[in-house]
Amino acid sequence: MNAQSSQQQSSDGRHDDDAALTDFLASLMDYTPTIPDELVEHYLAKSGFQCPDVRLTRLVAVATQKFVADVATDALQQCKARQSAVVKDKRDKQQKDKRLILTMEDLSKALQEYGVNVKHQDYFADSPSAGLDPAARDE
Amino acid sequence: MSDGGKAESKTGKKSRITRAGEDNFGRAISKVAVAQICENVGFESFNESALDSLADLAIRYLLDLGITAKFYSNLAGRTECNVFDIIQGLDDLGMSTGFSGASEVEFNCAISSGVVTEIRGYVESAEETPFAQPVPHFPVVGEWRLIPSFLQMGEMPGFKHIPEWLPAFPDPHTYIHSAMWNERVSDPRTDKIELARQHRKAERALLNLQQRLVCNGLPVASTSAEPDDYRSGLEVNDIENQVLANLSEDEDQDESPAILSGKRSGEAKMENHVTLLETFAPAVEAMKDGHSDSGNYGEKSFPGKRPAVCLEFKGDKNVFGESLDLRIRNKNFGRTAPCFGREDEKDDKKRRVEFILRQSLENQQELT
Repeated sequence: MNAQSSQQQSSDGRHDDDAALTDFLASLMDYTPTIPDELVEHYLAKSGFQCPDVRLTRLVAVATQKFVADVATDALQQCKARQSAVVKDKRDKQQKDKRLILTMEDLSKALQEYGVNVKHQDYFADSPSAGLDPAARDE
Repeated sequence: MSDGGKAESKTGKKSRITRAGEDNFGRAISKVAVAQICENVGFESFNESALDSLADLAIRYLLDLGITAKFYSNLAGRTECNVFDIIQGLDDLGMSTGFSGASEVEFNCAISSGVVTEIRGYVESAEETPFAQPVPHFPVVGEWRLIPSFLQMGEMPGFKHIPEWLPAFPDPHTYIHSAMWNERVSDPRTDKIELARQHRKAERALLNLQQRLVCNGLPVASTSAEPDDYRSGLEVNDIENQVLANLSEDEDQDESPAILSGKRSGEAKMENHVTLLETFAPAVEAMKDGHSDSGNYGEKSFPGKRPAVCLEFKGDKNVFGESLDLRIRNKNFGRTAPCFGREDEKDDKKRRVEFILRQSLENQQELT
């Protein structure tokens, strides 16, 4: 089905790949990406992309969604790693810090891998308690 | 994804303050979508700044992918993109992370490239979460109103080199040049003459009024200067005409003859020769007196024969303004001339004339 199979039979593999790609694109018609089609169409049109095929729009949407999900996953890993480090230091604050919050710090670390340099601006102050439950903040 | 209380309140304030940018709607939708993806990944909450950055990143990814795909399609000589352009673009964008599957020996087809395989794997594995709300197609573009072509208008273009499908010309009156000039010729000299003419006309109209007042008020005239001349209405008419000719040459002589003829016809009905003479004698006198008063043509004077009528000419301006009104009134008098014999009507007319004069004098002050 994938690269391994096509590698084994190079002559027939191409046809298999064609069929597989067609199937994949057809399956995209049933798949609803989280990023809405309208958003994708708007920005693609803005960039000069011209194609009436909805499947390609879906492909782009899925690709973007995958990219964002990858970045988010990496940031989540960073977050978890940071929290586990914190937990090692201060066991008593364990409860409060357990929430998984998407922060700029984790995001910039995750994005470095993708060639995007984002830094947390010093003047851009996120409240340290942001993302916590109001009840947790009151304590 | 539960946003923290603080972050939430911040969002609420922010959305009110921020000015409506061109791209706000797209960014807002992108933020929601990214938040949904993050929730799927496993985040429980987020910082506003981080979500903003990630949403911006998603939009940039879309734009870059579009630009790259367009570049590859243009490179191949096409204007519309196809799958392979997109896959090439994805490869380009994923360059920094390295090509997964590049170590596999032969892949000569873009289909089996690592990116597509990864995406396919993602589609199969990831949970399908549609966007939270229905999104309208945006940006909303108003209906284009095109200028109708020659063909649609059913016209033939005026020239051979203009094809029919081009937009039609506007109506000729909108672009044809036509000369424009001021039709009113304002010559100061003619204006002055006209002014003087109207002035004299007004004076004469007043005089006529005066005469009639005299006639009606004192039906038995004290004297008649040259009784031999007033043999018939025709003679009276002649004398009147002479007097008018003395007044000015360019005056139109319609009015007083008309009035006189009206009087004459009325009195002809009465068939009383004496009353005719006696009625007209003071009128002519008064006319002559009036001339001497105005001082223009005052050669003949009849001192002591009649006291002047108690109407005052205040000044040139005053008289000028009255002309039209008085003329109309005079005509009315000309028409009602046959009824002069009755006493009560005379009084009535006097009162009316006085009223009109007063009114016109007041109006004159308003006009000036």
